[in-house]
Amino acid sequence: MNDLKFCKRCLYSTAHPLGLTLDDEGVCSGCRIHEEKDMLDWNDRWAKLKEIVKPYRSKDSNSYDCIVPVSGAQDSYFIVHMVKERLGLNPLLVTYNKYFNTPLGIKNLANLRIKLNCDILFQNLNPHIVRKITKTTLRQFGSMYWPILAGQTVFPVQTAVRYKVPLIIWGAHQGLEQVGMFSHEHEVEMSRRYRKDHDLMGYEADDLLSIFDTLSEEDIWQYRYPEDDKLNTIGVRGIYLGNYVRWDPKAQHEQMIKLYDYRTANFNRTFDSYDYVDCFNYMGLHDLLKLYKSGYSKVTDHASREIRHGRLSRDDALALVKHYEQQPVKYIEQFCDWLGITPRSLNFMMDQHRNEFFWTKVGPQEWVFNGGSVLQDKNTKNISSIAFDKDFLATDSLKYNLNNKYITIGKGWP
Amino acid sequence: MLKKRLIGMVVVKNGWAVQSFGYKKYLPLGKPECIVENLDRWGADEIIVISIDRSKDNLGPDFDLLQRLAKLGIDTPIVYGGGIRSVEEGVKVIQVCADRICFDALLHSNLNVVNELAASLGVQALIGVTPLSLNDEEVELFDYQAGTTKIIKSDELIKISNTVSELLVVDWRNEGQPDSFDFNLIDRLPSFNVPLILFGGISTVKQMQALFSNENISAVAVGNFLNYKEHAIQNFKERLTDMPLRTAKYENSIIEIS
Amino acid sequence: MSRITIGIVDYELGNHASLLHSLKKLNYRVLVSDEPSVLDQTDVLILPGVGAFPMAMKALKEKKLVSYLQQQAQINRPIIGICLGMQLLTEASYEGRYTKGLGLIPGETIELAEPLSHIGWNNIDRVNSDSILEGVEGKVFYFNHSFAYEGPSSYIKFTANHKKKITVIVRHGSVVGLQFHPEKSQAAGRELLNKLIIGMIDA
Repeated sequence: MNDLKFCKRCLYSTAHPLGLTLDDEGVCSGCRIHEEKDMLDWNDRWAKLKEIVKPYRSKDSNSYDCIVPVSGAQDSYFIVHMVKERLGLNPLLVTYNKYFNTPLGIKNLANLRIKLNCDILFQNLNPHIVRKITKTTLRQFGSMYWPILAGQTVFPVQTAVRYKVPLIIWGAHQGLEQVGMFSHEHEVEMSRRYRKDHDLMGYEADDLLSIFDTLSEEDIWQYRYPEDDKLNTIGVRGIYLGNYVRWDPKAQHEQMIKLYDYRTANFNRTFDSYDYVDCFNYMGLHDLLKLYKSGYSKVTDHASREIRHGRLSRDDALALVKHYEQQPVKYIEQFCDWLGITPRSLNFMMDQHRNEFFWTKVGPQEWVFNGGSVLQDKNTKNISSIAFDKDFLATDSLKYNLNNKYITIGKGWP
Repeated sequence: MLKKRLIGMVVVKNGWAVQSFGYKKYLPLGKPECIVENLDRWGADEIIVISIDRSKDNLGPDFDLLQRLAKLGIDTPIVYGGGIRSVEEGVKVIQVCADRICFDALLHSNLNVVNELAASLGVQALIGVTPLSLNDEEVELFDYQAGTTKIIKSDELIKISNTVSELLVVDWRNEGQPDSFDFNLIDRLPSFNVPLILFGGISTVKQMQALFSNENISAVAVGNFLNYKEHAIQNFKERLTDMPLRTAKYENSIIEIS
Repeated sequence: MSRITIGIVDYELGNHASLLHSLKKLNYRVLVSDEPSVLDQTDVLILPGVGAFPMAMKALKEKKLVSYLQQQAQINRPIIGICLGMQLLTEASYEGRYTKGLGLIPGETIELAEPLSHIGWNNIDRVNSDSILEGVEGKVFYFNHSFAYEGPSSYIKFTANHKKKITVIVRHGSVVGLQFHPEKSQAAGRELLNKLIIGMIDA
């Protein structure tokens, strides 16, 4: 950690949790791979994609061609649009109930499946085990999102096996987009290795079992990845659209707002109003945990992305980051109510995971932040002159009702 | 009959498993333990873990990494290389985790240490690593620390190879580039008394078929290319049907106990 | 039915994690120790080994395990020697300098010479029938050695072929030697270990 270095272009450092390398010019692997987006022949790559999906097109009209994992946010509209409208495939949508559902997310997901006329499967695991696992992972490795990440990444694979639909189509590969883990030309596919290493921070379902005696088989079996021989028998394969399409989330979401009335909302911890609108906690408590553990938060990901797309200067980006990452977190009580702990317990648990390298305790409940943004520049620039965040449109808000309660899937009204 | 081996190569830089290109460009992959565990699950015939920059920075072997790998308790043979400078260090690497060790710098700085390692561990535990390239039909050795190449004569190469049980020849220039291994390099090499393992730019079944058909070659190592698709090892093996390799296996944790 | 307990003889030469992992996966209880009082509580003893013969014998002597193992063999306790462990069971080895072994199996450990080393995965062939290892013919295991057993053929149960016939499994009463690494031979290795352990206990 002591030899932490920053990229000259974007705001990432070598302390990035996915890993990051810098070349001789001080430019990071993520920025270098991003350069490919303006060098590759995307028509050529689109043609490649058409060839890849060809054998999966069903000959009759009574089966699915592929599985598309979706949510009420995160490029889902764009992915389904590309799969159905551009590739002409017949997808089965699958979604995992994350519990922290905003009314906006529910509305977006319903709108998606209706406008695009798709079949959808919901996986809704019983709340008792989800809470139990969340408590364990929050306490032990500062993650309140493990069950969500585990569920979102495994349910599509289980469905592929159960329904015998081998092809899964994902959006962009997070490792490629953030840290240049792969070149677009490597055409990387979904792997159990990446899921365990990065999505699940090194812990698969069976690892939770062997490490924590609070959890048992009946708690975790739903999160278990299918065996290799099953995957092989069905021929399960997960491809990423981002390897064949020039990926630009801002442009894509704006296109989806126009085409299908995808709804967006403002967040107080980032300028990007297009993503994560389906969750009360991703840009809140979860984001704060990221700041505690990694010394930076989601707004840094958004800012680095926009720098690379040439829409934000590094200076302006850093100023925006410094402003947004310190904004207060909302919806804390809802989470505490749901999990069954007090805000004080929550604070205590979260504080255990502050990375000493980025946080110094100076008094009871008092910490000094020495994270990425501070290490780069101790000064703070005024962001009022930066018009950038006005570029992101908010067409709705996360909630309608006054008490901001998580929407219960399938409950109906009232 | 002794089978040929398809080896998974894991390059580690600053504690991170990386994709390595031509010994100079690196893209991050993740935790070495996750990559190693994955290769084990896929049934790689051996796993080589090389921690680069250890010799360059005079850090010795990465014992932290070795301890983390040992904890995995995997049942695939592991070879470790990176920073081994003495007999004590080589022996300790075996005691902590590895089944065999490999080294590059030591072959040129101190062959006596290599001979003593053979006496302590058995020559079968030692693999010599030589990054080679062709320059106008002359074989050149790449000195990673200095960043330079120099001609290496046949008798020198043979002398080095006689201190170990296998020689890992690396086509370092083509490392990481698909389908680019320089077959001319093998043609220019002398006859050795030990078998060869080849690495660098080997990504296709056609290349592997050609290499496995050579009686002087006991194994082929693949690095970057094993990280792009699920079941990468099995996919290669299934298409190498007429080669003397162990058959591909897909994990099923139901163990049949008769 | 109580669980079978395996005792790994620990003479501080090498890492036992893979062996432990394999045995636990097979649902055996495992104790790792250099103390006779602990090893006495086990059903089967495993003698692993990495490194060179003289160093290993020296370590066993220092731990006072030589006479212990010889006694255990006398009273027909099941003992499995793996790789160098198998070589240690023999009367002597020519590795380095001529060194006496445990002498639990008549025969000596001699240099392979040609080939220099036997490295990689090879299939094993039965040469003498033995009920404890049915069904493992043709299976493939991982070898990594430069010295091998030579001795009376009645003790040789399985051989492998690499430029010449190499002895890979020996047995003398309750003592069995495996030249390959079952704990590094993935599923095939685990299955063989399991068969062997059950076979030796039932014998």
